[in-house]
Amino acid sequence: MGLNYYQIKKNVRRARKLVIRATSNAGSGHPGGSFSMAEIMGCIFFKYLKYDPKNPNWEGRDKLVLSKGHASPGLFSNMALAGYFDPSELDTLRKFGSRLQGHPDLKCPGVEFCGGSLGIGLSFSVGSALAARIDGKPTRIFTVMGDGETDEGQVWEAAMTGAKYKVDNLTAILDRNFIQQDSYTEKIMPLDEELVGDDLSEMWKDASRWKTGDKWRSFGWNVIDIDGHRIEQLDHAIKKATQTKGVPSIIIARTIKGKGVEHMEDNPKWHGQAPKKEFVPIIDMEIDSQAMIAPSIIAGDMTNLENEVKRCTNGRADYIHLDVMDGMFVPSKTFDHNKIRELRPLTVIPFDTHLMINEPVKYVKDYVDAGSDIVTVHAEVCDASSFGQIHDTLKANQVGVGLAINPDTNLPEWAIPFIPKLDQIIVMSVVPGKSGQKYIESTHEKTQRLVSMLNQNGFDGYIEADGGVTLDNIGSCFADGARAFVGGSAIIGQQDVRGIIREFRNKIAYARRRGLIQKAHELGGNELVAKWIDLHTIGEKRNHLTAIARELGFA
Amino acid sequence: MIGDMTDMRTAYGKALVELGEQNPNIVVLGADTTDSLKTADFGKKFPNRFFNVGIAEANLVSVAAGLAISGKTAFASTYAIFLPGRCVDQIRNAIAYPSPGDKKGLNVKLVVSHGGISVGADGGSHQQVEDIAIMRVIPNMTVLIPADTVAVSKLTWIISQRYGPHYMRLTRSASPVVHQDSQEFEIGKGITLREGADCTLAACGLTVKMALDAAGSLKQEGISCKVIDMFSIKPIDSELLEKSARETGCIVTCEEHNIVGGFGSAISEVVSELYPVPIKRIGVNDRFGESARDAEIPLLLEKHGITSLNIAKAAKEIIGKKK
Repeated sequence: MGLNYYQIKKNVRRARKLVIRATSNAGSGHPGGSFSMAEIMGCIFFKYLKYDPKNPNWEGRDKLVLSKGHASPGLFSNMALAGYFDPSELDTLRKFGSRLQGHPDLKCPGVEFCGGSLGIGLSFSVGSALAARIDGKPTRIFTVMGDGETDEGQVWEAAMTGAKYKVDNLTAILDRNFIQQDSYTEKIMPLDEELVGDDLSEMWKDASRWKTGDKWRSFGWNVIDIDGHRIEQLDHAIKKATQTKGVPSIIIARTIKGKGVEHMEDNPKWHGQAPKKEFVPIIDMEIDSQAMIAPSIIAGDMTNLENEVKRCTNGRADYIHLDVMDGMFVPSKTFDHNKIRELRPLTVIPFDTHLMINEPVKYVKDYVDAGSDIVTVHAEVCDASSFGQIHDTLKANQVGVGLAINPDTNLPEWAIPFIPKLDQIIVMSVVPGKSGQKYIESTHEKTQRLVSMLNQNGFDGYIEADGGVTLDNIGSCFADGARAFVGGSAIIGQQDVRGIIREFRNKIAYARRRGLIQKAHELGGNELVAKWIDLHTIGEKRNHLTAIARELGFA
Repeated sequence: MIGDMTDMRTAYGKALVELGEQNPNIVVLGADTTDSLKTADFGKKFPNRFFNVGIAEANLVSVAAGLAISGKTAFASTYAIFLPGRCVDQIRNAIAYPSPGDKKGLNVKLVVSHGGISVGADGGSHQQVEDIAIMRVIPNMTVLIPADTVAVSKLTWIISQRYGPHYMRLTRSASPVVHQDSQEFEIGKGITLREGADCTLAACGLTVKMALDAAGSLKQEGISCKVIDMFSIKPIDSELLEKSARETGCIVTCEEHNIVGGFGSAISEVVSELYPVPIKRIGVNDRFGESARDAEIPLLLEKHGITSLNIAKAAKEIIGKKK
């Protein structure tokens, strides 16, 4: 069974946009804390939580307790996507007569806990977990808490009670975003250590300074520390937590308040403030423009792919791109599913398997079973019938569905009905078969044409640029519309994989900021550009944006 | 037997065990006072449905809420000073406010002991004289103060059958029985213990016996008093209050609680709207209590004017103010 990566990822993206829509409509609300927990909620809702939106009181359901109730837009948006109500109902958030109260309320069927007064949810969850135990029900309780919330003494009363009664049917998730209403948590009430100065990013990165987990461990909890924006880490942690018996588990998910919208990120101001309506289309575009880096390990040492996987993991790659070549579809041969199976235990990072093989329909299940999270097959060796089978196999196993096209092919006619169902389209920008080739320049134009065709046909996935992607052209590939980037020799061929991935991300950030400024200009001229730049007050972002605006002649 | 001195906590603990036998959905929670509240017996008998969460009352209330929303009838007990006195947020937001479907609040019964100043030796810090005021302003909350063990046993059973958040205050020290064993109780209905024409004495908890004694002594002086046990403070029996006001023309209210916002206030609110008559409130006059050993508790009550003598005096005074 795969990670269901794309379904979660896409829903997280949609949920973030719904939060923006709802809070900007309401004129108030808490986008910051809704965004820091966006991936947490996505993983719970679209992978682990058992529920029936048509029968919210279904006896067999699990329970999600949002203890940090102020992040209600983050809950309601996911409930809408899950089918509890139509997404348009989010327009009633915080308004008179709405079921969608400022804080989650039982008035809205499917909500399990009236959150708002902080510090109560964990005790409530312990009670719910005990009730399930008395009744011999398999109910699982997921409790999402804020880090500032754990200033409340009651949280620690509940922690002791949970440990005493060994409520292993309860998984708590701490949204550790380091910000509470007044300022940074480490200034108001340090959970790790007092923050001197304002550089939160250093704190976030330095594991030796984290003490929050120690607190919970000393209270008798199973503690799992993760990056709370990484779907695969959340998935792995939730799986481990739910398998741990005899003690309750807490996942300490390090997150970024406002994650996904740069001007909100790490800025205490966006704890409880709604975005103005004029910025909504720009913010939506920003949310849609998250990008993934996928190093291709065949560009490294083929005799020690294990080490290449480790380098990708340490380098914080988003995916690991696995080029499978059979010596027939392409002249070279790399490895098959057996190798993937061997590599799988080395990392939780999604395996982005690219099958450059003939008759992929015959083998696709092998690659699913080996542990792929995304499988891409070539359009050149499929037809409607075989791809339909491939699609069904992948979907049934929660594996992402990808289709690839070579430089000299276009998306075939038979593939058009599949477009809305595709998670990924790989546009090859070199002739497949070996690494180290140069990017074929005409791919830019081809990708742009493809994007507009895909958009007309209801595409909701990600375009992956594959072949000759370098620091020099990644920005223009991003501007074309690619959102995932395979890096062969340009990444794996380098000594410092982590450093080069960071540089790739910087290039993408530049291209994204440029695109957003162009969008602002298109919507409201220089005036809106200036307002957009003004929103960015934390870090270097502002200077960078100003420079881009000047470059474009918008300032 | 009427007049016997009996212990309310023992009656409560016994009622819980009986309930536990009949109803597998009953769960009981305590906060390190389970021996004192006599809930420990339930725990011995039904260990899987009994949770002692330690000295953590906010947690007690909220864990009870989690059990209740999952279909349990949760009894959570400790001393009055630590529940309304400490956990008004959790009582409001975790129990009274959450309303699943067309129900109102969650099915939690907060039964406390050590209400009022008759706690005695522990002193003013432990004498809750604000709980009626705190609890009755919370929407969806039922507030009960039984006068004796007959009431405690029957009300424990009644509230287990009745959906929703309930607060019931017991007295620490032994209480005289004022009700016949056959007495029926209905939430929202007062009980007329004695008919009379000149004045109504409305009481709850330990003041019911005092009111009865006052009515007895006034009878000697030719004054006829009606005595009503208003154990159900919310909902309150407006009909009985209006009728009593109409029949007797004045009311003395008697409570072991601050007269500000408490039982007398609740009655004044109803009477002033339905049939205004002169009212005199007997109770703690907006101050705190203090220590008193068991034998000295009558002295402490006397210091605060909570005696049958003072009730009788108030009745005579208020009768003089009738129009």
